[in-house]
Formats: sequence, structure tokens, C-alpha cells
Amino acid sequence: MPVLERAWELAPGVAVRPEPFGALLYHFGTRRLSFVKDTQLLAVVEHLADSPSARAACEAVGVDATSMPSFERAIARLAETQMIRERHR
Amino acid sequence: MTEPIDLSDTEQEESLVVSDLLVEDVSIDGMCGVY
Amino acid sequence: MTTATRLVDHFERGLDAPICLTWELTYACNLACRHCLSSSGRRDPGELHTREAMAVIDELERMQVFYVNIGGGEPTIRPDFWELLDYATEHHVGVKFSTNGSRITREIASRLSTNDYVDVQISLDGATPVVNDAVRGDGSYATAIQAMEHLAEAGIRGFKLSVVCTSDNIRQLDEFDSIATRYGAQLRLTRLRPSGRGADVWEELHPSAEQQRQLYHWLLEHGDRVLTGDSFFHLAAYGEALPGLNLCGAGRVVCLIDPVGDVYACPFAIHDAFRAGNVREDGGFARIWRDSELFRSYREPQSGGACASCGAYDKCRGGCMAAKFFTGLPLDGPDPECVFGHGERALAAVESGAAPRSSVDHSRRSVAVAIRKSPARLCDENPLVGVDAGAPAQP
Repeated sequence: MPVLERAWELAPGVAVRPEPFGALLYHFGTRRLSFVKDTQLLAVVEHLADSPSARAACEAVGVDATSMPSFERAIARLAETQMIRERHR
Repeated sequence: MTEPIDLSDTEQEESLVVSDLLVEDVSIDGMCGVY
Repeated sequence: MTTATRLVDHFERGLDAPICLTWELTYACNLACRHCLSSSGRRDPGELHTREAMAVIDELERMQVFYVNIGGGEPTIRPDFWELLDYATEHHVGVKFSTNGSRITREIASRLSTNDYVDVQISLDGATPVVNDAVRGDGSYATAIQAMEHLAEAGIRGFKLSVVCTSDNIRQLDEFDSIATRYGAQLRLTRLRPSGRGADVWEELHPSAEQQRQLYHWLLEHGDRVLTGDSFFHLAAYGEALPGLNLCGAGRVVCLIDPVGDVYACPFAIHDAFRAGNVREDGGFARIWRDSELFRSYREPQSGGACASCGAYDKCRGGCMAAKFFTGLPLDGPDPECVFGHGERALAAVESGAAPRSSVDHSRRSVAVAIRKSPARLCDENPLVGVDAGAPAQP
């Protein structure tokens, strides 16, 4: 199922630190730092746990259609690096 | 004197694609000034 | 659609809080490594007390500093080390501590295996006793290996084996890799800087241009598994950058807190020229990080100076500030180990004896100390044992 249609949540052991440009995410387990370069993407990440899908989270914070592919790539990357994990409903 | 290695066109393209991503990753050990 | 700038561009302007930082807990050390960046050996009478250290941790928690790299000297010889370690991790500040291994007993290793927010880093500068002990002292190789055995036996995987690359050990890179693999550790190779006692051995121990090139290629090959602390960003001028931010983090994303609470740009720059303030002042660490004149100056856009016209400047950023400073080179010129040799040429113009030296020196007068498994007397390791740690600091 595509990334946008799945439900996600922040992985345990991940700290989120908002920044003027977006946010820093640090995973205490993998010791990797993710640099979220967009404040709207931070808002999406914060909405993921309460949204039925990543697409719903994006829509909830006002991501427009042309930006969706970019947000999809970003969410896929966060999943790849284990910053977020799939939530099973 | 050492000649710099040129990135191939493909590598340059790939690094451009990566930097369009809204998320960038680095190891917590990837900052200079921590021993 | 928003445009995303490079991560490097944001970090160069500094952040409201460090991402991580080095915290040297004590200048006391039971070793006397020839290249010690902090010129450690003797405890300083003005070192932060336990309560003051906890106040710093509280600040780091509020600022959401993700982790601290605790070092020294030898941090584990501070009597409150384990208490501070637990306090930090309980307050959401991750800890990696750097140690020569002399206090990593089986019991300690077992205790460490239960804390997910602690990482251990063992220092080793030779893959064989002869090479290592020539720098770190008789018996130090055995001490480090024993610590790694204890960590491995306790089931701790992925602890760090950290090496300072020198002209003597660059030929041993594959062997270091084997040692790390043998104990389930992750190898870390870092740059020798002419800092602290490093200035005295720089000529002898810094890698030759050819060795630097070998190191670079070895790192390119093994870069996904081997850490570097981003200490080789000056080598990006060869072409392909190594993993990491590839920029000087000092005063922008990292800094140093020293044992007496002085805040410096980085642990390789313990000198008045790089001192931003002291955590005992009003406003503590946060005020210094956010508002000190020194750190503000690092966050201004940097011109390349003499390096601006070099095609590689965008990659190497002019190299390491500390390496330039302590070899007597100007900060707006090439790094002493510039891959094109510009630094070497610039060094020829530096007068003998002109390179700055730090007045912060806690080296012990005595010559190299032999390490026994356990000291015959406590004061063999801590010259101030028995001094009341709760006594008020000297004015």
C-alpha cells in the first residue's frame, strides 16, 4: 500500500525538537538525526498518530496537491530511517 | 599536489535529487567538535 | 511548494540550542597521553560540584540537547560520575562517555548494559601494544582491551572504539577494524589536532600528505560502517565528501563545557581566544550559547578569506579552526593539512615558536605513568584524594 494511504506514528525513542526552519528529530536507538526542512512537514509529523492515513494528516495541515509527492517522499524517508513506524488500526 | 576527483554527471544529478527532499539525515556523530 | 535549503546552510547560522556537545567532567586523569587535547592530568580545584553539574544537565534538558559526550581527563575517576550519568539519562539527555577503560570492570559493564541511553567509547591509538603504548603509556593497550572484553561479555554491542589517526597508526586501519569487529564495537577514526599536548607531538605524529590520502580512500571504502565525528571534513576537497555535516560545528551546533564550567567553541580549542563564558555566570549555559559575542560571531556568514578563490572552498570550508590556530596559521587561510598543500606552504612562513599555546594546562609534572589494574593507593590516580568535594569553590 502506498506510503500516503498507510497510518503512521512516531517511533518510540524518537525526540522531536521544533526549530524555526522545521524540526530536528533524534532517534536514541539508531543515533541518527533527521533534519525536517519544512514547518508544514513538522505539522504533518505531529498529526500522524491521530490521522487514519498520512494523506489525511497532510490534508489536515493544508498540504496542497502539487506538494503531495514531495511530502510522500519525505514520509517514506522518515519510515526508511525508522523515525516513524506504521500504525496498525 | 592532488587533483580533485570530479563527480560524474549522474552523481551530480543524484545529489540534486536528494537535496530536494524535505528530510535530510546525518549521524549524531556527524558533527565536528565532539570527541 | 516550499524550497528546502541545504542542511548545512541552516546549521551555519547556528541553532537555539546545540545538537550535542562535549562536556569534560574533570582534568584529572590516570594516564598522560602524549597528544592529550585537554592537557589533562591534575584535577582543577575549581571543578564544578555535583550540584552544579546537575544544574547544567537541567539546562541541557530544557534546551533539548540530544546528547552529551562526556570526557575529560578520565571522567570515570570523578567520584560522582555514575550519579551524574544516571541523572543525565533520567533527564532525557543521552550520554556517550569517552574513557581509557581503566574503570570498566565486569560489574560496571553489566550495569551499563541496562541503560539504553548510554554509549561507551573506548580510546585506543594503536592496534598493537607497541604503537598504542608509545602514545598512551605502558599498559594502556591492555587496559583498553580488557574494558572491551568486559563490555562484549556484558552483551553491549555497538560501543565505540575511538582512534586518533597518527603517522604511526594509519598503516593499522584494517587491524583496528578487526579489533572493533572482534568485540562487537563500532570503529571511530578521528583527526589529530595540534591542541593541548597535541601541539608538542604534532610534527612527529600528524599524518603525511600520502598517509592522509590513504586514510581518505580507506574511509570512502568503509565510510558506512566507520564513524569519524566529521573530523575529516577538510578532506572533502579531494572530491567526494565523507558522511557527516562536513562543516565546523563549533559555536553553531556543538561546543565544549570544561571541568570548571568554562564554555569553549570546541574541545580542540581550549584557549582564551575561543572561550565564550562560564556556566556559573548569570544566565548559565543557555545565555552563553545564545548570546555570547564569540558564538554570535561564528554564526555570521563567513567569507573564505584567502581560500575564497579556491574551487574547493565550498567543500572544505577552509578546514579546522583549531588546527590553524595552534599551528600559528591565520584563521582566514588554509588548514595546515590542506589537501592541495596550501597549508604546508603557509606554515613555512610561521616563525618558530610563534604558534599560540593555551594557559590552561593540567599536565602532571611526572613522566609517563605505568598503569596497574588497580592502584596500590588511591592517591596514585587522584592527587587530590581526600579533598572535600563539597567545599565551596575558590573565588
